[in-house]
Amino acid sequence: MMLFLQQVLNGLIIGSTYAVVAVGFSMVFTVLRVINFAHPDIFMVGMFAGLAAALHVSDNIAVVLIGGAIGAGFFGLVLERLVIRPLRGRDVLMTLIATLGVAIMTENGMAVLKGPDPLPFPVLIGQTQFHLGGVQIGERQLVNFGLSLAVLGFASWYVRGTRFGRATRAIAERPDVAAAFGVNVDVISQITVVLASMMAGVASVSVAALYGNAWAFAGLLYGLKAFVVMLVAGNRYFEGVVAVALGLGVVEALVTGYLSSSLSDAVAFFLLIAVLFVRPSGLFGSYAS
Amino acid sequence: MRPLLEISDLHVHYNAVPAVNGVSIVIGAGEIRLILGANGAGKSTIIKAIIGLQPAASGSIRFCGEHDLRRMRPHQIHRLGISWVPEGRQLWGTLTVLENLRMGGFIERDAARLRRRIDELLERFPRLGERRNQLAGSLSGGEQQMVAIARALVSSPKLLLMDEPSLGLAPFVVRDVFALAREINAMGISILMVEQNARQALKLAHWAWLLETGRIVVGGPSDEIAATESVQEVFLGGRA
Repeated sequence: MMLFLQQVLNGLIIGSTYAVVAVGFSMVFTVLRVINFAHPDIFMVGMFAGLAAALHVSDNIAVVLIGGAIGAGFFGLVLERLVIRPLRGRDVLMTLIATLGVAIMTENGMAVLKGPDPLPFPVLIGQTQFHLGGVQIGERQLVNFGLSLAVLGFASWYVRGTRFGRATRAIAERPDVAAAFGVNVDVISQITVVLASMMAGVASVSVAALYGNAWAFAGLLYGLKAFVVMLVAGNRYFEGVVAVALGLGVVEALVTGYLSSSLSDAVAFFLLIAVLFVRPSGLFGSYAS
Repeated sequence: MRPLLEISDLHVHYNAVPAVNGVSIVIGAGEIRLILGANGAGKSTIIKAIIGLQPAASGSIRFCGEHDLRRMRPHQIHRLGISWVPEGRQLWGTLTVLENLRMGGFIERDAARLRRRIDELLERFPRLGERRNQLAGSLSGGEQQMVAIARALVSSPKLLLMDEPSLGLAPFVVRDVFALAREINAMGISILMVEQNARQALKLAHWAWLLETGRIVVGGPSDEIAATESVQEVFLGGRA
């Protein structure tokens, strides 16, 4: 029983990071109708921007988080302006392939610059372990979870409670009508990409601080999971994406705890694919495209 | 007097297939004008060309004499004071009624002014007030049309484009919609309406054109148009 609770807790924590990446990925897809395969690399760039901030500015965690968010946000801004916007409105495969190209260049470029192996990430957070009943949680995990929740809370507030957030949802459902009511779709698209990128930047620093390393290929697994989470949840409800991401984290952790860590991805992806067989437009529904 | 909207020799193509073929129309301030036409005559295409959603191949679309709408993008055109009740309503079904209205007033940055404007409209449409927190997609067709009209009015436009507002509605709701159009016009808002429901729309409009396969075949004061043979035959079920 204690193992079960412990693994559920571990799963929720890792799942909260999947949720941040998946929500950003899904926001970009929903608003721009673009599958941004460079989103994982925005995450990775955020990680290295955080590393640079930690090494050259300060190892205060707030500074490193801001560095990661700014680095990722800037990369997202350039990507939107130079790659996504010129290709938008054409076949969805065009932007998919273009962003995939950017992803490969960025990853391998970073591997050339910084080496193909993980680099140590400065210690930002202590290693204290807290015990709650028979379950334990580390200080780093707690910070990681708290940051994810804060970022998700921010995204939820933005989308539900602000004028631009409303416009974001209006574009998601009917872009033409939104434009005809005064929404500059280009501006909202750019803001969406930058926000999603900054969210990924915060998540990446929080993950680097948790595991103590930064890696040129760190985005890959998070990105693939974010993509699958969006497909399984459907992009219609923010909360649906978060729920599936947390669920994915928990399934992985349980498989790791009871079977083997090498099986965790296989089982998780099997379940996700099984869901898609039953509900092709996602568990919670998708916007018509 | 300078016309509010002046379209001359408008041509619009869909993938080289002509949809609108040299249409010239004028709407003055305070008028209700009507384009009658069957399905596929090009009515909606004209509306979409005005609001910038469908690029024109040639011709000119001018607003208040000075603004060349063909050079502007949809969000800029809306800011000039042109609003739209789309064909089939096209509400944001995943947004609440209130959120739809707030989006109708997206260009109003002053939150207090926007709230006052929406309150005014909800007073005029008390049923929408009751349903303000319901998802717009859950309303009946008639209620949705009221949301679509209210949404178009939040920005206090000068010109309202109504694309087949009677489509798919029960007859008593259609009467309400046309009465509402008259009321909107009495507030000083000009209306360009496209319709197939000729009988009621002709009673409402000051001026009407008949559009066939992308061309205006006849235009004039509504009562004269109502008496023409082609309108009698096609829309009003034979000679009166």
